[in-house]
Amino acid sequence: MPATLSTFSDQLADAVERGAKSVVSVHARPRLPSTGVHWRDGVIVTTEATVRRDENITVTLPDGRRIPAQLKGRDAGTDLAVLNIPAGQLPAATLGDPTALRPGHLVLALGRSGDSGARAAFGAVSATGGKWRSWKGGEIDLWIQSDLTIYPGLGGGPLVSPDATIFGINSGGLSRPLATTIPVSTVERVVTQLLAKGYVARGWLGAAMQPVRFSDQQGGLVILSVEPDGPAALAGLMVGDVIISLDGHAIEHADQVLELLGGDVVGRTLKVELVRGGKQERVDLLVGERPRRAR
Amino acid sequence: MNTAPYEAAAWVKDCVVEVRQGAGAGSGLTWAFDVVVTNAHVARTGKVDVRLPNGQVREAWVRFADRERDIAVLEVPRLGLPAVMRRDPAELRPGEVLFAIGHPLGVRHAMSSGILHAVGPLPDGYPVPPQLRRLAWVQADLRLAPGNSGGPIADAEGRVVGVSTMIAGGLALAVPITAVEALVRARAA
Repeated sequence: MPATLSTFSDQLADAVERGAKSVVSVHARPRLPSTGVHWRDGVIVTTEATVRRDENITVTLPDGRRIPAQLKGRDAGTDLAVLNIPAGQLPAATLGDPTALRPGHLVLALGRSGDSGARAAFGAVSATGGKWRSWKGGEIDLWIQSDLTIYPGLGGGPLVSPDATIFGINSGGLSRPLATTIPVSTVERVVTQLLAKGYVARGWLGAAMQPVRFSDQQGGLVILSVEPDGPAALAGLMVGDVIISLDGHAIEHADQVLELLGGDVVGRTLKVELVRGGKQERVDLLVGERPRRAR
Repeated sequence: MNTAPYEAAAWVKDCVVEVRQGAGAGSGLTWAFDVVVTNAHVARTGKVDVRLPNGQVREAWVRFADRERDIAVLEVPRLGLPAVMRRDPAELRPGEVLFAIGHPLGVRHAMSSGILHAVGPLPDGYPVPPQLRRLAWVQADLRLAPGNSGGPIADAEGRVVGVSTMIAGGLALAVPITAVEALVRARAA
């Protein structure tokens, strides 16, 4: 009966209407505006790649008012940027649990462009998975891909369920051709750090390493160079040392080190087990903060 | 769950014809007694062939074509098909289910489904020429291909809201059915 499809159609339109109450248009680049989500009161989240200037940023609210916003910080690794607007302007997003998503779940992407009202795209979750690292180096808690089309201007908008809860922020730039969503937990973590510091601090050892094997059973990372006065140098590590464990985890691939450094480790002292001149040794290493390149 | 949720597509299909002029082919929808609407880039002027859903071909002629709005109105003697039902796209809400019927890449009477993206002009900076961007469009998140041009985009109940016309940034753009009504009225007066 057509009534079945009409009911479904109304449900989707309701989800767009409700979800879009916390969706704004972000004017932070020439020409086409992008989309942002009112994540917490006074806090707008959008994608980093769509914020092309640091000042003179404005947002258009669902009621059509265009107000100034201040850039609080950006993280290219996770493709997220955070803006501040005065509190109490619009409702904060209703957040859901993206770990519940499975391939086949129906989802919507929402957007807003200037004063033209809400925009929407519809599709299904294509693939889900665990933690991954973006090509820009950011750690993202969940892999969520969908067959949604992220049309021009829809980047930075939310992935929304048919009952209008928000699962994350859609990024047009993290991978193609499928749409990638940055899940709620990653957004929460990055927003907290961006509000506190303006950037996401990532751990730094100050040593270049390459995998090496001693035998079929055991391998490690051999140090190829050491940054003068970097954390590795200060801990007494030398070229030719082979790191076999870090913070109690056996290390055989550079990815394992990157994963460890992606977490909240800056300022922590890690136990390093290494092989030097055929003998096993232990040293303490105070993790530094990766120097930030000027944009 | 119903096994044929897009039941309305079955009878909208009976209102969709194929319009051929020269080497090109597009779609058309039945408008009134012996009248078919299509795109002006499908039927430019003079005589055209109209293929009915039952395979019969009728010779038709272009009553008028509006290049700017890309709409052509055809006179088709002995058309013998019901006219489409229409709905004002201004009533649509983003997220509502829509479907298109046409002959994409020559596949006859193919349906593609999706939702309403937005209604109105495209945002500033959208990758289309400014004169097209500023026109009102039914913007749909559904897949069109060459051959869909001139065919209907309809809501969940089969009421036609627009005429499939172009694709921009991946988005399906349809001329609002109300704009077609205005053109037809202006020409009749």
